[in-house]
Amino acid sequence: MRRWSTRGAEETRALGEELARELTPDGILLLSGDLGVGKTVLVQGVARGLGIDPRAVQSPSYTLIARYESGSPPLVHIDLYRLEPEETYALGLEEELAGPGVKVVEWAERIPMPVPSALHLSIRRTDRSDEREILEAGPSSISDEED
Amino acid sequence: MVLGIETSCDDTACAVLDGTGNVLASVVSSQLKVHRPYGGVVPEIASREHLRNWLPVEGEALRVAGVELRDIELVAATRGPGLIGALLVGLSLGKSIAYGLGVPFYAVHHLEGHLYSPYLGAAGEPATIPPESFVGLVVSGGHTSVYRVEGGRISTAAETRDDAMGEVFDKVGKRLGLPYPQGPVVDRLAEAGDADAHPFSVAKFSDGSVDFSYSGLKSQALLAIEALERRGVHSPGGNVDAGDFPPELADLLAGFRAAAVGQILDRLERLLESGPFEHLAVSGGVAANRLLRRRLAEWSAERGLDLALSSLVYSGDNAAMIAHAALRRHRLGLEDDPLEAEAASRLAI
Repeated sequence: MRRWSTRGAEETRALGEELARELTPDGILLLSGDLGVGKTVLVQGVARGLGIDPRAVQSPSYTLIARYESGSPPLVHIDLYRLEPEETYALGLEEELAGPGVKVVEWAERIPMPVPSALHLSIRRTDRSDEREILEAGPSSISDEED
Repeated sequence: MVLGIETSCDDTACAVLDGTGNVLASVVSSQLKVHRPYGGVVPEIASREHLRNWLPVEGEALRVAGVELRDIELVAATRGPGLIGALLVGLSLGKSIAYGLGVPFYAVHHLEGHLYSPYLGAAGEPATIPPESFVGLVVSGGHTSVYRVEGGRISTAAETRDDAMGEVFDKVGKRLGLPYPQGPVVDRLAEAGDADAHPFSVAKFSDGSVDFSYSGLKSQALLAIEALERRGVHSPGGNVDAGDFPPELADLLAGFRAAAVGQILDRLERLLESGPFEHLAVSGGVAANRLLRRRLAEWSAERGLDLALSSLVYSGDNAAMIAHAALRRHRLGLEDDPLEAEAASRLAI
């Protein structure tokens, strides 16, 4: 399992950009981590890696799903912050994850089913206020958390 | 008579306006409590939910307005941005009703609805004719943007690069265990605090951009809450009275709110310097924020600007603003959209 450490939002964005390169055109990136830890910042980096202006990437906590068709491949940015796990079915999450484009999901711990082929990262703060530790989680960790 | 339909995200909404823009009825599904299957905060995100809500919501709107469907002369629905499945329901309903009645149909941009909503009249009054050119601030849970409107042409002057202002109020409030919707509760508790006792800085971009950024303020506030908790200061949570809320936390919320509102004023000031304007129209759910309303009123008065604040009834998502935007276009003789208008989840204004 890999781990990274970043200092400042720009380094977190750079990591996102690097990760965008290893995602397949229909790949899935799952993100977990507390409020304000920098999940959307990492997604901005992924967007930049896909050729999308990162300044256009806003938090979709309210809008739930944002699509960036200009990316190659396109980016689908999903945020489950407002939803309970059972509500993700109403959102059509399964269909979204099976659809085209790179899918990035914030608050991925609320996905009620395993997502086997996804890259799952958790972001957390360290003792230094601008530092973040990013850990790659095992493929089954999400369903474990739900048990 | 104009029928407005809005289903871009959580709520199913229907409104009836007369030809002067007077709102005869504006119904939002969450007011009707049509259903709450899981209790608490249930976004009616599924197209299925919008479909289930539609008939009761439309029925209530027509009943309150005292009209029948056959009296409708114009139909408008939101075409985007929003959740595609949810948008499709409202848009298809709107097209079908317009087609069935043989009346014009308008597909309206959600933010165009918000932008013109400050010119909707109070209940029983006709809408005001919007000025030819104005600056519109839309600030809500999902949006924080400023637009320049000139002769009906809308261009984006500033927008958030991360979180919306309403979103960070809700998230900070949720961290304190406050009930949904947390934003208004944070606003209320901040009233009792002293912003100078716990100041936060106003976010600025080093490149001089007038765009907004609220994610840094959110992180700072969350860290400050954590620091207070380590010192034994905890939020009682729930629907707490200001009198039972720790003063240190009230100061923190007051400082947080002052920095959030301060950022809005900073951007407006810089936009005024770069391109003078005379009219400012403010809409969106956060237009209900007390400090924002007070500061905007002072700021506009000092500069001799005409301020139109959307009435509290129309600051959140609603269908009256959609009907109103369509009526404005219709009065200007702008052509109605063909029934082929498509829903779009992301839509440039």
